[in-house]
Amino acid sequence: MSTPKPWAEDPEGTAGEYVLGTLPPKERAAFVEALKADASLRALVIAWENRLAPLAATAPPAAPGPATWAGIEARIAGGPVAVEETGDARILKLQRRLRRWRLAAGVAGALAAGLALWIAAGVPSVPEGAQYVAVVDRGGALPALIVRVDLAGNTVQVRSLAAQAPPDRSLELWYVGAGATPRSMGLVTGASARLSIPDALREGAEGGSLAVTVEPKGGSPTGSPTGPVVYSGKLLKE
Amino acid sequence: MVQAWKLGRRAAAGRGDGALGSAQRDEDCARLIAGIAREDRAALRALYEATAPKLLGIILRIVGDRGAAEDTLQEVFVRIWQRAGSYDAASGTPLVWLAAIARHRAIDRLRQDRSARVAPLEDGWIERLPDPWDGEADLADRDALVRCLDRVEGPQRECLVLAYCEGWSREELAERHGKPVNTIKTWLRRGLLSLRGCLEAA
Repeated sequence: MSTPKPWAEDPEGTAGEYVLGTLPPKERAAFVEALKADASLRALVIAWENRLAPLAATAPPAAPGPATWAGIEARIAGGPVAVEETGDARILKLQRRLRRWRLAAGVAGALAAGLALWIAAGVPSVPEGAQYVAVVDRGGALPALIVRVDLAGNTVQVRSLAAQAPPDRSLELWYVGAGATPRSMGLVTGASARLSIPDALREGAEGGSLAVTVEPKGGSPTGSPTGPVVYSGKLLKE
Repeated sequence: MVQAWKLGRRAAAGRGDGALGSAQRDEDCARLIAGIAREDRAALRALYEATAPKLLGIILRIVGDRGAAEDTLQEVFVRIWQRAGSYDAASGTPLVWLAAIARHRAIDRLRQDRSARVAPLEDGWIERLPDPWDGEADLADRDALVRCLDRVEGPQRECLVLAYCEGWSREELAERHGKPVNTIKTWLRRGLLSLRGCLEAA
């Protein structure tokens, strides 16, 4: 860019106004760009940040709600997918929603997990107890999927966040009933999918779990899991 | 509103943090930032615990809306996570660095949301200058800043403070003062200049 730099005339004043926040948006954006390459401009800005900082300290502290930290974890854990593809406001709403579920399930502690999770919109009103949700993750740190089972609506909705299949492999989702053999629910493909409900799950979602394994491309050739479990999570009554 | 420059003389008493002196606190924060640069999530969490309420306060004063402020706070910590490696202690204390990130994100958010400004600063906020965040060194800085702000001409000073603390734009300040935008620009730059002159003479 060889456009004339509006701050060339008064770099000191421009740096000060940048710190104040009063540069017009275009000039502000151009100035931010210029800062990356210009150490002398950066020095001016740093000096102003230091001079004015005591004023920032006059702001009365405000305690953030518990969902705020969860959202940060989700944004840094979810990587570019969760951070860039999900609208901010939406994340916020979801955090609140997910927090409700998880609190209700009594697993508050480590749950903070990443909450940039999104379950397909349009929650239908269904009879109490007919819906289950599972946050499928790797030991609590990084949620990979959120799976919502709606028995009344006969649907399973899968939202993928950070689930990533190794090259030339597929991720397969399994329902694991208490003491039963895992039943395939299908492959985890795109960002979201609708799968069918295995009969076993219909009867005993309570106490069941979901697991994701790494399988050959296209899914397990045997109908049972053949690869390592990379994510898992319990079904919780919503 | 902004005329209330005289500080309540409760500076020392106002520092309610007790155990954590400023130097100690800065050192702790710097260590946490170094940890974050190594992708230590526990360090990020600890820094959050230590600074989030203060940063949220700064953001909230600018963006006004609680939901937008918390969302901005998240962006700020994501940025801290990504940029911790670029923190340079020679450029200022950790809190100056953190507050700058928070303020700039908040201002960007405010401009982007473009919502109408509702209420100006409430009365007497400047008396709150003694702050749990401040340590000895900060108090000295603060006293100098307050003294020097006091010497800036009234309308210029008000523009500086409203812009810095609440994110007022030139246009909003122009409307408030019934002056052309260019006059506000001139006021801001003159105000900054006289502020700098006074601080450097101190």
